[in-house]
Amino acid sequence: MIEVEGLVKRYGAQLAVAGVDLRARPGEVIALLGPNGAGKSTTIRAITGLLRPTAGRVLVCGHDVVRAPLAAKARLGYVPDRPYLYPKLTARELLRFIGRLRGVDDGDRRADAWLEAFALAPVANELVETYSHGMRQKLTFAAALLAEPAALVVDEPMVGLDPRAARQVRDLMRGHADRGHTVLLTTHAMEVAEALADRVVVLHRGRVAAEGTMAELRASAGTGEDDLEAIFLRLTEEAAEGPPAWDAAPAGGSRRSAGPTERGG
Amino acid sequence: MTPPRRSLPNRPVGGRRAPGRWARAGRADLVALRARAFAHAVRRAPGRYLVGASLMGLVAWGTAALVDRGVRWVDAYPLIGSIADAALRRSVEAFVTVLVLAVAFSVLTTAITTLYTAADLPLLLAWPLPAERVFRLKVFETYLASAALPALLTLPVLVGLGTARDAPWSYYPQAAVAVLALYALPVAVGSLLALLLMRLAPAGRVKEVATAASVLLAAGLVVGLRALRPEQLAELTPEEFETFLAGFASLDLGASPATWAGDAIWNGLSGSVSAALPLLALVAWGSLAGLGRVAAWAYQVGWVRSLDGSSRPRDPRPRPAAWWERPLARWGGAGAVVVKDLRLLMRDPTQWSQLLVLVALAGVYLVSTASLEVEGQRFRDALGTLNVAFLGFLLAGVGVRLAFPVVSLEGEGLWFLRTGPIRATAVLGAKFAYAMPPLLLLGLGLGFAQATLLDVSVNLASASIVAGGLAAIAVTGLGVGLGAAFPRYDATQAAEVPVSPGGLLYMTLALLYAAGLTLLLAYPAWTTLVDPTVPVWSTPAGQVTGALAIAWTAAFTGGALAFGRWRFLRYESGCD
Repeated sequence: MIEVEGLVKRYGAQLAVAGVDLRARPGEVIALLGPNGAGKSTTIRAITGLLRPTAGRVLVCGHDVVRAPLAAKARLGYVPDRPYLYPKLTARELLRFIGRLRGVDDGDRRADAWLEAFALAPVANELVETYSHGMRQKLTFAAALLAEPAALVVDEPMVGLDPRAARQVRDLMRGHADRGHTVLLTTHAMEVAEALADRVVVLHRGRVAAEGTMAELRASAGTGEDDLEAIFLRLTEEAAEGPPAWDAAPAGGSRRSAGPTERGG
Repeated sequence: MTPPRRSLPNRPVGGRRAPGRWARAGRADLVALRARAFAHAVRRAPGRYLVGASLMGLVAWGTAALVDRGVRWVDAYPLIGSIADAALRRSVEAFVTVLVLAVAFSVLTTAITTLYTAADLPLLLAWPLPAERVFRLKVFETYLASAALPALLTLPVLVGLGTARDAPWSYYPQAAVAVLALYALPVAVGSLLALLLMRLAPAGRVKEVATAASVLLAAGLVVGLRALRPEQLAELTPEEFETFLAGFASLDLGASPATWAGDAIWNGLSGSVSAALPLLALVAWGSLAGLGRVAAWAYQVGWVRSLDGSSRPRDPRPRPAAWWERPLARWGGAGAVVVKDLRLLMRDPTQWSQLLVLVALAGVYLVSTASLEVEGQRFRDALGTLNVAFLGFLLAGVGVRLAFPVVSLEGEGLWFLRTGPIRATAVLGAKFAYAMPPLLLLGLGLGFAQATLLDVSVNLASASIVAGGLAAIAVTGLGVGLGAAFPRYDATQAAEVPVSPGGLLYMTLALLYAAGLTLLLAYPAWTTLVDPTVPVWSTPAGQVTGALAIAWTAAFTGGALAFGRWRFLRYESGCD
């Protein structure tokens, strides 16, 4: 379970996130969408503890990421958009490091299982610096899933993956949620979000522009047959007519409704 | 939105291309691009650059003033009055020769990074610009990265020389041109060697080979300079010293670039222009320009075999954890960090090479101590006291390379620790545990070795070992703590990390610590000098001194680590 309440993040004069609320329940895959600069990465970074919120709070399985970071992070797996993996470690050594860091008892056995699952076992003793981008991405997934986290946060999951690996990752995320865990992903690939997500949250200019299931989004956008891409473009075009978040009134004006926002949301 | 004032012209479509105009625009814009990026960086953090520039200015002023005084003193020294000028000239030439060698060694790894693996190379080469121009820019970057610091060290020396000799204004630009041109030569030679390595080094190992070669050559230079045994000069009679100086002054290095630079500088002092200056400038410019052409050719014909991965047969069998990992694994997340760091240390030449430098330094220190021949226990003890003080300063210098960078070396891998369930205290504890053993070994080893080599009394021997151990702990704490407080996660190697205000603060505090420890240990040293038979450490005063030394160490270690933890917790990835 991931709960974001009134999240505000300010970088000096610029307001990157202007009061975001969202809730990802167990068994759910939530897709966080938004144009570039919408605040997706900042929100993800606040959830994973990489950033400290200016206001608001983030709870992972009921644990505040700022006040009880160890308990929250122990339940969180993270796949960044540009994962850096120690180039001078082998895949097996990297997974062993993660296993120990996260206190996984049978880390070696689990690591071998994930290496097999991602077809990385033949190169498991090679240095990561010799891996292709796709192999690194798969290894990052293995690292994130090693401790079977209750909440999995994935930033742009399909970048650099071949079609087979992309399908595998999609199935993995779905399977992880079906086992009662929470998956929160950000992506620009609308077809991935549409196929995988139980609910979609659209961020624009640091605010939630819309939130709901595909059917709810279609209904609130006033269209019947549109795909997610068309809805997304309409929502972000409408929101774009409003003032940008850093020009708006004091932060904190979050919204919780399922439909699209009014101007400036 | 206001359109940019200047931009790269678009490629002409359907018309004739104008390569000359393109090339000129491209060259100008490439340099302008770098200049603009630097201006933005300064605008973003003006305080940092102001402090850095002020400190550099201070160091430059101090150096120039020191050289000015030194030259005036030498010129006025009656014994060597007739050969002072020649001796000074040889000294300046020797100084720049050492720096030229240092540039040649360091340029190897720099050139591989700038000429082959630079992240912006694919983008620059995709632009409609002649590749040669792109590589000339890259050669210029290599020059700046390798030679800028030695040049900045040399210029104040030449300014001091000029002011002491009341040189005309024309001397200063001449001296500057001579030095800047001189340092271009090792850049060209070192870069050419790097290009050769790209072709000849074992597959996938070029960076390792280049780094190892650089470090071994640098360590060899240090040991070689020490092997000259400058302390012999102190044993010479005045007549022998004069003979030595006369020989030194008449030393002829032949038609070397250092001699050309010397000619240019000394002619400049008297207001004339040496023919060596244009020759030197021409050779330097020609070398760099030629290098740009060769580098472009080598890159385009794929002379990069040594950057490719190894093709040795794979062994996919599961490998259990090594025996040495298991005890550390019981320490949980912190142990995992130590194991990971040790593995990276063993495989990353930019890290293990620091240990080679450490061994070379320790060797030089011990050889220097062993060469001291002092008669009488009191004199030996007095010298031992001085060495105790020097040990702290030496460890402070070693710590800036070994302990200060350890947190920054997490680099982009920091996200593992920031998103993992591990306390900041455990991270810093792991870094402390990782950095301390070599420093402790060095501190205790040198403390013991110098006590043995100098044959000091028991009191001072114990003080020496205690000082070595305590200084190692404090220096590690200061390094890890301040390194965490002022990280440079974007540094490409350990040597870059301390080049920052944080590194300067570390050095200041480490030297302050060493000075304080020396003052505290002055008590047992003084007692020993007065009466070597007194068991200092058994007396109440001696015990208080020991307790104060421990408290002094704990304050620096704990304070720095606590400050580092506080700042580490507040660091936000991707926002610096």
